[in-house]
Amino acid sequence: MAEISFPLPDLGEGLIEATVLEWLVAPGDQVERNQPLVEVETTKSAVELPSPQAGKVVRIHGGPGDKINVGEPLIVLEVPDNTAGIVGTVPKEEAPKRRVRLSAVLDED
Amino acid sequence: MSGRHTGQPHTHTVEGTDPQLYVGVHEPESDSGLRPVLLLHGFSSSAKLNWEDTGWITALLEAGRRVITVDLPGHGRSGAPEDMDSYSPSRIRADLLQIAFDAGVRPLRDGDPSSGLDLIGYSLGSRLAWEFGATQHELVHRMVLGGPNVADPLADFDLVAAQRYLADGTPITDASTAGLLKLAQMLPSNNIFSLLSLVEAIKGEPFDPAEAVPHMPMLLVAGEKDERAASMPDLAALGAKSGAMVEQLVLPGRNHTNAITSRAFKQGAISFLGV
Repeated sequence: MAEISFPLPDLGEGLIEATVLEWLVAPGDQVERNQPLVEVETTKSAVELPSPQAGKVVRIHGGPGDKINVGEPLIVLEVPDNTAGIVGTVPKEEAPKRRVRLSAVLDED
Repeated sequence: MSGRHTGQPHTHTVEGTDPQLYVGVHEPESDSGLRPVLLLHGFSSSAKLNWEDTGWITALLEAGRRVITVDLPGHGRSGAPEDMDSYSPSRIRADLLQIAFDAGVRPLRDGDPSSGLDLIGYSLGSRLAWEFGATQHELVHRMVLGGPNVADPLADFDLVAAQRYLADGTPITDASTAGLLKLAQMLPSNNIFSLLSLVEAIKGEPFDPAEAVPHMPMLLVAGEKDERAASMPDLAALGAKSGAMVEQLVLPGRNHTNAITSRAFKQGAISFLGV
């Protein structure tokens, strides 16, 4: 198993931070790809962020009301080794339609 | 009708002109067999901002519902007509009726769960839904109205002050007007002048919920901290007085902007419309 950290993605329109409204998953939960993870609010709107891939939630960052900067860690997922390796390559499923998505930051070690 | 696509532009003329409204029809992977759900977004929002990015379309599709979205005139991917008439609430309601028929919606029939239409509106979209439901009772089965308001903040909008502000920066004294204009200017995709045309058209036809009251079951939903929807109980009383079954749902800690993503809101709506 490997842990992958997903930062708060660029939400567009020059936004640099978002406030956590509500987490829809908790550490220990098994999540599916595209399953809603968290609701966040920017100065312009509220959005729901879907999971970029299937895995088990290891850690979540920030509780309701906390601000998170774009690029800072949002969630850590544990995924099987054979899927961790292909992060950054084309997923097998059809391409996501959503504009705002999380993408992984691979650990340095 | 066959060959429907998401995002097919609406080209049917209504009263002789093309309303230039951008319509999306989203088909569920596994159809529940229930009637379609039409989503009506709020002022200075769009189908994408109000319903897609917030997870509503995904949630409804997963519940097996067919979803119809439309961008209001001057919003999202719809056109920004120059004539004032295109923005009047009565004209928009006529356009919505045409859109519903074009998407294959059929009048309600007893015992046929696929007949008719369910509506979900937010803010201005709830005002339009209230009026649409009141006049189209043969079509509308149930409605969910989010962030609803008995009063009409757009009708009270100080258009002259807004135009002066846009022309030379003269500060706007009315807080509601200043807030709405700020909202309208927030998105680069918004056509500010067509949004002001919409405001002007709404001033000509302000919301009067008592004038025509819907009789179908309604779920009213608002954030606990939503000042614009503080009058929700009045609206509920109005509906109940005329014999409608009305439920209310208050979302703890939420305001007019962030109530929209709430899971409790989505689950409440899906379960209310799932009959």
